[in-house]
Amino acid sequence: MSAVVFEGIWKKFRRGERHDSLRDLVPALARGLARRKRPLDLTDQEFWAVRDVSFEVNPGEALGIIGPNGAGKSTILKLLTKILRPTRGRIEMHGRVGALIEVAAGFHPDLTGRENVYLQGAIMGMARAEIARKFDAIVDFSGVEAFIDTPVKRYSSGMNARLGFAIAASLDPDILLIDEVLSVGDVGFQEKCVTRMRELLARGVPLVFVSHNLAAVVDLCTRAILVERGSVRFDGRPAETVAEFRRGRRDQTVRPLPSADAIHISDVQLLRADGEASPLFHTGQPMTIQVHYRAPQPVRAPHIAIDIHGVDGLYCAGINTRMDNWGLGTLEGEGRVELVIPQLNLLPGSYTISAGILDPQGLRPLDLQSHAYPFSVASERKDFGVVYLEHHWRHDVGSPAASPAGDARTPAASLARRRPAAVVGVGGARK
Amino acid sequence: MNILREVVAEQWEYRELLVRMTSRDLLLRYKQTVMGFGWAIFMPLVNTAIFSVIFTRVAAIDVGMPYPVFAFCGLVAWNFFSSALRFSVSSLTSNPSLVTKVYFPREIFPFSAVLVSLVDFAVSALVLVALMWWYHVVPGWPLLMLPVVVTSLVIFTAATALLLAMGNLFYRDVKYLFEIVIAFWMFATSVVYPIGRVGGRLGVLLALNPMTHLIDAFRAVILEGRMPNQAFAITTLASVVIFGGAWLMFHAAEFEFAENL
Repeated sequence: MSAVVFEGIWKKFRRGERHDSLRDLVPALARGLARRKRPLDLTDQEFWAVRDVSFEVNPGEALGIIGPNGAGKSTILKLLTKILRPTRGRIEMHGRVGALIEVAAGFHPDLTGRENVYLQGAIMGMARAEIARKFDAIVDFSGVEAFIDTPVKRYSSGMNARLGFAIAASLDPDILLIDEVLSVGDVGFQEKCVTRMRELLARGVPLVFVSHNLAAVVDLCTRAILVERGSVRFDGRPAETVAEFRRGRRDQTVRPLPSADAIHISDVQLLRADGEASPLFHTGQPMTIQVHYRAPQPVRAPHIAIDIHGVDGLYCAGINTRMDNWGLGTLEGEGRVELVIPQLNLLPGSYTISAGILDPQGLRPLDLQSHAYPFSVASERKDFGVVYLEHHWRHDVGSPAASPAGDARTPAASLARRRPAAVVGVGGARK
Repeated sequence: MNILREVVAEQWEYRELLVRMTSRDLLLRYKQTVMGFGWAIFMPLVNTAIFSVIFTRVAAIDVGMPYPVFAFCGLVAWNFFSSALRFSVSSLTSNPSLVTKVYFPREIFPFSAVLVSLVDFAVSALVLVALMWWYHVVPGWPLLMLPVVVTSLVIFTAATALLLAMGNLFYRDVKYLFEIVIAFWMFATSVVYPIGRVGGRLGVLLALNPMTHLIDAFRAVILEGRMPNQAFAITTLASVVIFGGAWLMFHAAEFEFAENL
């Protein structure tokens, strides 16, 4: 049995202001009486926010919902949490629903952190005894121990969010709903969120994840649907759905580039060693990035550029044909350019690839697809950071002269010398 | 009937939240006040003093007992009713983030407003006991009926609270109308004078006011040693029916709240 059944859901919304005062009520009632309308008829003030959306989520499955702004993603989530009721259709949720949405909505500014934990816990459906049992763990997770008896109006917004999240995370839900939580808090906090989500997922808790963070969707979800103008346009594996979303976006957003008529990127494929397109790679394994182009008119000596960014926006690599002095000549018609990376030295995490075609000077983009192609890297390596540096250790015992820092006169000087390396190691907290 | 059972079951499931919300509101109400619960006693006392001057010195009326006890008893019950409604009327609209972002049975808002006022009611009832001792008013065995009378009063209050909270969410006019109506309503109820003495057509009209029967019964069992009359029984029955109806209406409209707030 599916944990979540969302079947043939329609949801109608009203544009603009509703008659909010009694003065407008009478004419509205008169109109309502005059015209008996069926539920699926729309007046000129109404529109479908969600139309005929169906999906099921089984235990152990993580469903990602992506789509442009205003597509109806959040409405779907609000329907799942029972805040909104569908105009038509059937929703079934089996078990306790935990929602990582508005985790601090129940907080009252005048109450202390402690009082708010109990209040918010009760709002999320936890019994008093359950909250009392988990209280220490919640406070510990949130990292606001020192301020737990301070009114939350004196908290920073980050502390507020962390405390709220800690409460939500301590809930043992049968179904987990998440809306864009990954966009709040610092990197460390986001990492905690992801870890908690993976934990629950590993236990077989079904997950519904609404996000604009496409890389995170590819990373976390087992399936994804693309929602556009209220209906499901695509349903498949996360990488496919993200690719489909990108294709649709490209048609709308990249077209306006004045030179896009001359040449544009028709597709980008990420290939593994076996030549199969995949969103998942391994540290140290090969990766081939295929850039397909279409040039209706001849374009003289363009350049291809590939950028790789981490999910947190960290610029990991920028490679282009101009820098490599690799000429393409004049391009016309269709073709593809391959960037072969024999060893992908990225550590586990989520990344995105941007692809662009630049003019001969390498200045003006003829076509540019920023952060369009997400992929994840997995590895057995436990190093921190973004990049895998090939390394080995050596240990010399004996006279100081034998050490590589032998010219350092004092220990302090040698420490200062090493500091940049240490910063890379600690600061490179990867998402 | 089935829906009603479901609704009550859901409310029961969320009983901890109801308690939590009530204690939140109590805590907030008296946080940063010096008098705290003293306010619950102070307001009816001031009113009692004022009306005592009016109805014993200016226009003396005979109420068959020391007037301050009569007035305070009525005011305690009336203050419960009016303050519960005053909190309920804006209970949904003043918690927009909870109504639009988190799901739980929305009845909790008006219900917790009623419970908060019930706590104040209990506190000021202590003063009533002190006043009765001072004026040597001894209650009789009908006092045993007090829980029934209070329950009836709470049910009628809760029914009205549901309707007002819901009404104000859709039409903000309700809040202003409420202030006007509640002011008139008090003087149409036997709060500070026995309204049963009004005769004629106006008397018949006033007899339709359920609050009169509830407050009369309250006073009867506490001060007069009388059992509540037949009008009280009818009012109680009607309250239960109205309460069920109001709850069903509230439940049906509940899912529109987030869209209309």
